[in-house]
Amino acid sequence: MSKIIYPDSHIPAELSEEVIREDSMRPTMKWGRSTQLWLGFLFMVFGWGLYAYIHQLRHGLGETAMRNYVSWGLYISTFVFFIGISHSGTLVSAILRITKQDWRMPITRIAELMTFVSLCFGGLMPIIDLGRADRIANLVIFGRVQSPLMWDVMSIVTYFTGSTIFLWLPMIPDMGLMRDRLTVVDTPFKKFKKWLYKTLAIGWTGSKSQWKRLELVMTIMTIIIIPVAVSVHTVVSYIFAMTLRPGWNSTIFGPYFVAGALYSGSAVVILAMVIFRKLYHLEKYITYRHFDLMGRVVLSLTLIYGYLNLNEYWIPAYKMATSEGHLLHDLFSGSYSTAFWLCQFGTVLFPIVVMCFPKGRTPGALTVVCIFIAIGAWVKRYLIVVPTLLHPFLPIQDVPLTWSQYFPNWVEWSVTMAAFSGMVIIVTLYAKFFPMMSMWEVVHGAHIEESKRVAFEKVEHAEEINEAKTNHKKATVVG
Amino acid sequence: MNNMKITRITLAAVLFCGVSFAQAQKAESSLQLSFSKQTDNSKTISALVMGKKSGEKFKPASNAHISFYAQKEKELVLLSKTVSDDRGKATLTLPKDLPLDADHFFGITVKVENDDTFENSEEKLKLKDVNLSLKLNPHDTARVATATVTEITDEGTEKAVKDVSINFYVQRLFGKMPAAEDHTVKTDEKGIAVFSFPKGIPGDTAGSMTVLAMIEDNDSYGTVESKSSTNWGVVVPLEKDPFPRAIWGAKAQWGMIITLTILYGGVWSSYIFMAFQLRKIKKEENLTTNN
Repeated sequence: MSKIIYPDSHIPAELSEEVIREDSMRPTMKWGRSTQLWLGFLFMVFGWGLYAYIHQLRHGLGETAMRNYVSWGLYISTFVFFIGISHSGTLVSAILRITKQDWRMPITRIAELMTFVSLCFGGLMPIIDLGRADRIANLVIFGRVQSPLMWDVMSIVTYFTGSTIFLWLPMIPDMGLMRDRLTVVDTPFKKFKKWLYKTLAIGWTGSKSQWKRLELVMTIMTIIIIPVAVSVHTVVSYIFAMTLRPGWNSTIFGPYFVAGALYSGSAVVILAMVIFRKLYHLEKYITYRHFDLMGRVVLSLTLIYGYLNLNEYWIPAYKMATSEGHLLHDLFSGSYSTAFWLCQFGTVLFPIVVMCFPKGRTPGALTVVCIFIAIGAWVKRYLIVVPTLLHPFLPIQDVPLTWSQYFPNWVEWSVTMAAFSGMVIIVTLYAKFFPMMSMWEVVHGAHIEESKRVAFEKVEHAEEINEAKTNHKKATVVG
Repeated sequence: MNNMKITRITLAAVLFCGVSFAQAQKAESSLQLSFSKQTDNSKTISALVMGKKSGEKFKPASNAHISFYAQKEKELVLLSKTVSDDRGKATLTLPKDLPLDADHFFGITVKVENDDTFENSEEKLKLKDVNLSLKLNPHDTARVATATVTEITDEGTEKAVKDVSINFYVQRLFGKMPAAEDHTVKTDEKGIAVFSFPKGIPGDTAGSMTVLAMIEDNDSYGTVESKSSTNWGVVVPLEKDPFPRAIWGAKAQWGMIITLTILYGGVWSSYIFMAFQLRKIKKEENLTTNN
């Protein structure tokens, strides 16, 4: 199978529309026992996290390990991580769409979904970090436009709205198809699905003028979502960079965060590709070619990220100014050195070495590399947030020794795990209601492949005729 | 029967131990009193209750039960009962007709009593009521503030009190500011303290300010205050824009507002345009169906 597709073709041209649709919709037609057990487990984790959060709300932030020194701990690290992986949709979908990379078609929805779910919970993490979550409205009522926190709220709301639209727009033709198909097939939650597909299809009939309008809005959205995504992570970096603290007082934090976001986001998309390819038997669509190309994308981004990483640490380390020096010593050889060096080698050097080779860009190797990158990206956010808070310019006087150390406690771990499980719940439910591939785009991709094949055959045929003519001429001349 | 007896004895023992334990757990208490008389002649007494558990330091005790008593000859007359606030404080405005002794002193006793948390304690205060008046002449170019201290005699007449330290202050927004480096003057035989008010102290937009003359924490008179307004201050014109638009100000600069409005307005208007187009897609369903 891979022999036919790899290395030139992205989607097998011989697949009919009906087969593509059938393969895409099949997982949405049944709810197996394993799905129910999986969702049950996820809801248990989520429920436990919810209990921990209610405990935190009732008894205050004192129930967490956060104190006056570290007031942004695991929650804000996870927030930055989630916002980072939300860039996957922008990169894979918008950038590849705008550069007309046809190979993106089977994986765009996975990428857009990752963006949507990570923003759902990324946006919640700062609210969870508040002792009085009910006061979040004060940020809007009394907030100052000059505050990076205010920009953050504006950017995330704008990006979340845009990403939701960006996920929904390519779904419209598919929703129309599924709405019509529901009249002939039987499926769990049929009534609800009927209402859902009808609502989301917004009266899609596939007429010429509807296609024209949809293409127009998708083009606009594709152009807009890229600067919005870049601005979001730049603004997230401003929360740190506009605060006068060692380690955060950096001018390259904006591009550093954006590069780190794109790199970790792409890695998470690859992991999602591996999982859905295996679970939903999408090997025909998500091919070795896709992994090879995504591997190249992640490799390029890792190199850019590595370069910025070098700038971020090497330049201050060369000067070792007093306040930065304490922090850097802690990172290079102190209490955070193990995590720091594991991050540098495991998520930068190791992926570069592996992905340089074609065999390192196969699904198996990429899975290992991307797990390293995803976990490393999370740890890296922790290393950006926590050690800096433990090294303020002016140490706080007369505080217990324990306040100058930080490790998240059970409340923080439970709530954070609930956020992760919440993400997976949404992805699982989404995959049970909607096709994980954009069907019309994959069909379109198959048509492109078909026309390419026909054109190629024509060229080959013409070359054969020319060759025959030339031989005939030569034979005549010799004769 | 035997079992019942044992149960009763055990219960009684437990109860007794519980009560004893509860009593043993009561915190030590102490009181600090202060008296003040304001310009309108109202008199207040403030009590600060401090509590201390064994092995700990004294700290303000909230919700302590406090009783205020006036000394009438050898008896104590209850004035009021209250509880201390979160900072351990309780204040009482004293009645005008406080009983006086032969030397014209009034006595106040404050007690922490009948409290489940704190042990009983009491503190007494014996003070004399004096009048402090402050005179300022707004037209006086020499700017002299004159404070007079008098007390009431047996005959009901006013008698000057000498050698009482009077401090002069200017009322500011968040407190009182000494009017000069050396702002204390003692009263003479006539009970008068004369203070030369310095120039250059900022007033309000009309140059007005409030001047205070105070007897502070005097052993015989407590704290007595008298204040008066005058226009001796430097006129401070109202700034048209005391808080200009700035990054650190309450209002953002126009440049920032315009930039952010253009950026976010541009994105959101595109969203609105898209919504409009999607609405058209929805409408076209009917057209297609009808055709």
